[in-house]
Amino acid sequence: MQYSRITYIELYKIFRNPRTYIAFSVVALVVGLIQLGFYTDGETYLEFGLRSLTDTFDLHGKILNGYLMAYIILQTLLVNLPLLVSLVAGDMISGEASIGTLRLILTKPISRNTLVMAKFTAAGIYTLVLLLWMAFWSLGISVLIFGADDMLILKSDMITQILSNDVLWRYIAAFGFAIIAMLTVASLSFFLSVFAENSIGPIMTSMSIIIVFTIINTLDLPIFNHIKPYLFTSHMLGWKGFFDIRVNENNEQIVGSIENLPGVLTSAGILILHILGFLWASIVVFKRKDILS
Amino acid sequence: MHIQVDQLTKEFGSFTSVHNLSFSVNAGEVYGFLGQNGAGKSTTIRMILSLIKPTHGSIKLFGKSIQTDREYILSRTGAMVEKPDLYKYLNAIDNMKIFSKYGGLSLSREDIMNQLAVVGLESRAHDKVKKYSQGMKQRLGIAIAMVNNPDLIILDEPTNGLDPQGITDIRNLILMLSREKKKTVVVSSHLLSEVEQIADSMLIINKGKKIVEGRVSDLLNPGKIQLEIETLNNEEAKLILSSSAWANSLNGNSMDKLIVEVNRTNIQDLSKYLVDHGVGLIGIKSVNSLEAYFLSLTSDHAV
Repeated sequence: MQYSRITYIELYKIFRNPRTYIAFSVVALVVGLIQLGFYTDGETYLEFGLRSLTDTFDLHGKILNGYLMAYIILQTLLVNLPLLVSLVAGDMISGEASIGTLRLILTKPISRNTLVMAKFTAAGIYTLVLLLWMAFWSLGISVLIFGADDMLILKSDMITQILSNDVLWRYIAAFGFAIIAMLTVASLSFFLSVFAENSIGPIMTSMSIIIVFTIINTLDLPIFNHIKPYLFTSHMLGWKGFFDIRVNENNEQIVGSIENLPGVLTSAGILILHILGFLWASIVVFKRKDILS
Repeated sequence: MHIQVDQLTKEFGSFTSVHNLSFSVNAGEVYGFLGQNGAGKSTTIRMILSLIKPTHGSIKLFGKSIQTDREYILSRTGAMVEKPDLYKYLNAIDNMKIFSKYGGLSLSREDIMNQLAVVGLESRAHDKVKKYSQGMKQRLGIAIAMVNNPDLIILDEPTNGLDPQGITDIRNLILMLSREKKKTVVVSSHLLSEVEQIADSMLIINKGKKIVEGRVSDLLNPGKIQLEIETLNNEEAKLILSSSAWANSLNGNSMDKLIVEVNRTNIQDLSKYLVDHGVGLIGIKSVNSLEAYFLSLTSDHAV
């Protein structure tokens, strides 16, 4: 009862704060710009990219369609979304400390554990809504503008074709995975927020950690190969796995299949463990914390 | 008894902020908590409110321990700790709603307006807090402290940063809460003259240690007055007085100020004595008696 009441208050504060809508505006703006760019020059761009393929094959149908657009947008935007998630999650406790409301809240008859849980839930719901907003723009609006057809994904060594009736569930699964990935970022920022007395620190630290981990991921050095599987950033792009399809012995794609489902599930599991770990650590630290702000 | 603090100590690493502090606050009184900046007032108040965990000692409010009955105690307590900025993007009503919900209450708009009227903010209730002056924020902070109709209200430096009118408003508000609403009020301040005007009892601390505790009327001698005498040569004037019948009137350890405590009827005799003995008298002014008392106490305990 107390938990749901406080979660409601936290959500009310998040969605009444004008700063919250920066993230929503940025997503709409960036997606809109990408869509505008492809709407005007997309065909030329794809023609150039597919030149080697069209020399050999006849390609029919609408290659530049809403599904492909959504994939391009997700690849571009999901890398930058952690910053937008951190803006709110990193502010949940440190922001209250900096304006002096944290001590005011804690003079009311609520338990610290409940407050942390409620704030974390509210940050999670914000992340979820932000991802849904992104899904609406990147998939919903793209399909509306560019239409729907089979989806061609160009990779460095191969091209994957996904039939149009096999795409939508993959996007739903991919967005589900992206929610877990962004919740991991949110939980990291939230955890750092417990220590800080202004929100700049947690946001900057979260981004620094993600940048450093991402650099480690990209370096193909033996010393880093041992730790890569344990870095949450190694698993954040696991959503792409939903667009890798298995093929049968005739090299035909198997509708509804995922090439490496155990790998995708393992990545999701590791991310969930990170979320639970950061939440647990936040509760423990906050319960013992002296409120000096 | 609403607050009972025993042997309270708080250490931050090797620094002891509060040292074996014991005091009690009776129901219905205004209790002044005095000390210079850094004396340990805010740390003590934060421990009472369970914002900070004590290193040693016990705290009981309403006869229950803050460590074991925190939520019960806080349901009967309202507090404003230093200057809260509140949620600037919301108006006073929404701020009040949020904090009433944190307290488990669901106040109607009428209830909120009534509470805002108590602190004189009803006409600005719909304005966003970012448009408020510091004094208005302080008053809203007090309204939020009172949102659950508490028996005990704890205000940490409520007049800090306010202009004279704001200080007067807060003082009148505290007196009203005590006299009309029958609340127990604990007020911390380093503005000693403020506490003298509103407190029934007081505690003076310095460097985390208790200096004195008692009723303000007992601690001060109403028949006497503290005077600060300004002369052309204070050292010489002090020598003259110390070798006269006025020697016992000399007060305080300050070298650059000449402070005496005399009966009000003897002020004229004192000034005549100084002039007759060739002291170049520039002026005599009364100093706040509690302030002088406080300075003498804290300077005695300093270093």
